[in-house]
Amino acid sequence: MSVEAIATALIAAAILTSMPLMLAAVGEAIAERAGLLNLGIEGSMLCAGFASFWLTLKTDSVTLGLLIGAAVGLAIGLVFGTLATVLNANQVVLGLGVTLAGTGGTAFLFREVYGSDQPLLSGGPGRPFEGWFDWLPVIGPAIGDQRWFVFVAWFMVLAGHLFLVRTPSGLQLRAAGESPFGLEAVGGNVTMVRIGAAAIGGVFYGFGGAALAVVELGFFSPGSTAGAGFLAVALAMLGRLSPLRVALFTLAFGLLTGLDIGLQIAGVDARPEFLRMLPYAGIVIGLVALGRGVRMPRALGQAYGGISSRR
Amino acid sequence: MNAVPVTSGERTRHDTPGADTALASLLESLLAIALAIAIAGLILIIAGHDPLNVFSQLVDRTLLRSAGLEEVLVRTTPLLLAGLAVLIAAKAGLWNIGVDGQVLVGAIAAAVVGAWLVDASRPVLWAGAMLAAIVGGAVWTIVPALLRAFWEINEIVTTIMFNYIAISMTAWLVKGPLRDQTLVAPQTPLIPPELRFVGLGDTRVHIGLVFAVAIWIAASFWLHRSVAGLEVRAVGESPRAARHAMIPVTVVLAVALVASGGLAGVVGGNDVLSTKGTFQAEWYPGYGLSAFALVFLARRHVLALLPAALFLGMLAYGADVMPRAAGIHSAFFALFEGILLIVLAAFRWRPWRRKSGGHR
Repeated sequence: MSVEAIATALIAAAILTSMPLMLAAVGEAIAERAGLLNLGIEGSMLCAGFASFWLTLKTDSVTLGLLIGAAVGLAIGLVFGTLATVLNANQVVLGLGVTLAGTGGTAFLFREVYGSDQPLLSGGPGRPFEGWFDWLPVIGPAIGDQRWFVFVAWFMVLAGHLFLVRTPSGLQLRAAGESPFGLEAVGGNVTMVRIGAAAIGGVFYGFGGAALAVVELGFFSPGSTAGAGFLAVALAMLGRLSPLRVALFTLAFGLLTGLDIGLQIAGVDARPEFLRMLPYAGIVIGLVALGRGVRMPRALGQAYGGISSRR
Repeated sequence: MNAVPVTSGERTRHDTPGADTALASLLESLLAIALAIAIAGLILIIAGHDPLNVFSQLVDRTLLRSAGLEEVLVRTTPLLLAGLAVLIAAKAGLWNIGVDGQVLVGAIAAAVVGAWLVDASRPVLWAGAMLAAIVGGAVWTIVPALLRAFWEINEIVTTIMFNYIAISMTAWLVKGPLRDQTLVAPQTPLIPPELRFVGLGDTRVHIGLVFAVAIWIAASFWLHRSVAGLEVRAVGESPRAARHAMIPVTVVLAVALVASGGLAGVVGGNDVLSTKGTFQAEWYPGYGLSAFALVFLARRHVLALLPAALFLGMLAYGADVMPRAAGIHSAFFALFEGILLIVLAAFRWRPWRRKSGGHR
C-alpha cells in the first residue's frame, strides 16, 4: 500500500470511530451548558445501542434502529433531567447510577434475549457520496466514502452549535447553567430548560450509542462502549463545552487513537498496551495545558432550589 | 450540599435535609432498598423470571448457609475499604471515580513487592506488600490531586482518565517488564498460598477482614475525632468558610484525595494477598461504582459503611452463585446496584420535610 492510501485509511477510520464519541461529547457539552453534569452517558449509550441493534436485527432497517436508539436516549435523558431538577437528585450519583444500571441492564437483557450467541448485522448504512471527492488527495476519499450517518452526525453537531450560540432557546439553555437565578428573574423556567437540555443531550447519546452498534461495529455486545461515555465527559471539558470545538477535539482524539495502528504499520516496535495509554494521557495533558483557561458554567452540577433559595 | 454526618446525639449545624437523625437515614436507606427491589422485581417479571424465587434463593445462598456467609464476608472486605476510599474523598467534597485504577496500581505494587519478599517472614511480607499497595494507590492519585487542589481541574475527569491509563499501564507492565516468564499466563510471580493471608478458624474468611475493620474504625476516629478530620469535613461543607477559618484548603484537598487513593490501593493489596496471590493481565474487579452505591447507601455516615458493605458483599456473592442457582445472569446485580444508586440520588427530595431555605 502506498503512503497516501495508508493515510487515507487511517483518516477514514478516525472519522468513523470518533463519530459515536463525538455525538456523546457534544450532547454532554449541551447538557453541561445548562448546568447538568451527566455521568450516565455510558449507560445511556449502551441502552440505546442494545435497542437499536435489537430493532435493526429484527427489521433489517438501520434507520429504524438509529431512531429507536435516539428515542431510548431521549427517554433516559428526560428521566435524568427530571430527577436532577424536580427531585434535586445529586447529579454525579444519579449519573453513576444510570451508568451502572445501563451497563448491567444491557448485559442482562442481552443474555436473556440472545443467550450466548453473538449475532452480527449484515451490511450497514450506505455510502451515498462514494467517489465524489476523489479529486482531493488523501482526505477526499477519506471523507467522501463514509456511510451516510456520519454526515448526519456532523450535521447534528453543527445544528447543536448554532442552536446553542445563535438562538434564543440556546441562550436560555446557557443561562440555566451560568446564572439560573438570572434566568428565573427574567421569567424563564430553569427546571423546564434543564429538562429540555437533558433531553437534547440524551438524543445525542442515544444516536451515539446506536451509531456505535449499527454503523461502526455492526454488532452489540455487553460493555461494547468501552468507556466512550466517560471519555465524552473529558472531551466535552477539553473542548470547553463548545460543540464545534468538542467535535474537532474528538476527531483529533480519534486520529491519535488510530496512531497505534499507524505506528505498527510504520514498523515502530512498541507494545499495543503502551500505545493505548497515550490518548488518555494526552487528554490529561490537554486539560493541564488548556485547563486553567477552562471556565465551566457557574451553576454546573448544582441543583436549583428556586429564586427564594438565593443567599 | 449533601447531608452533614451525625454521630450519636450530635445535631447538625445546618438544617440541611438528609440527616436530622441517624434513624431517619436508616429508614431512608431501607426504603431505598425496598424500592430498588420492587423495580428490579418488576424487570425480572418482564424478563419472565419469578422474582420471589430469585430473591429467596439469593437470601438462602448468601445468608442462610455458612459457606455462603463466609463468601459474603470475603467480598465485604474489599468493598468496605473501597467505600472508605470514596467516603474520605466525598467528605472533602471530592469525587474519586478513579478507585478502580488505584486498585490496579496498588495490586500490582503489592504483587511485585510480595513476590520479592517471599523469603522473608510472613508478617514482613504482608507489611511490605501492603505498604507498597498504599504507596501505589496514593502515587496514582497525586497528579489528579495536585491538579484539583492547585489548578481547580475537575478531579472527576482526571481520575477517570487515570483509570484507563492504569488499565493499559498495568497490562503493559505485566505482559512486558514484570512478567514471570516461567508461567504460561502473563502475570507476576505467584506468592505461595502459605504466605498469603491466613484464614480465620476453618473458614474462607481471612485476616484481611480484620485489617479492613481496623482501618474502618481508625478512619472513623480520624474523620470525627481529629483536627485533620474536622478540617477535611469543613472543606467539604464549605471551602470558603474553611478558608476563613484559616484551614489550608488546597493542602487538605490534595491530602484527602491522595489518602483516598492510598486506601483504594489497600483494596488491591488485600485482593493480591488473600485470594489472588498474583497480578494477572486483564484482571479488572471494578469496585469503583459499587463503592459509590455503598457510600450513598450508608448516607455518607462512616459508621453505616460496614452494614452497607455487608449488603453489597451479599449482592457481589449473589452475582457469583445466582447464575447456577436460579439462572439469573450476574449482570442483574450490577443493574440492581445501579437502580439502588438512582433511587438514593433521588432521595434528596423530601416533601415531608419543611423546606429549608438556602440549600442548592
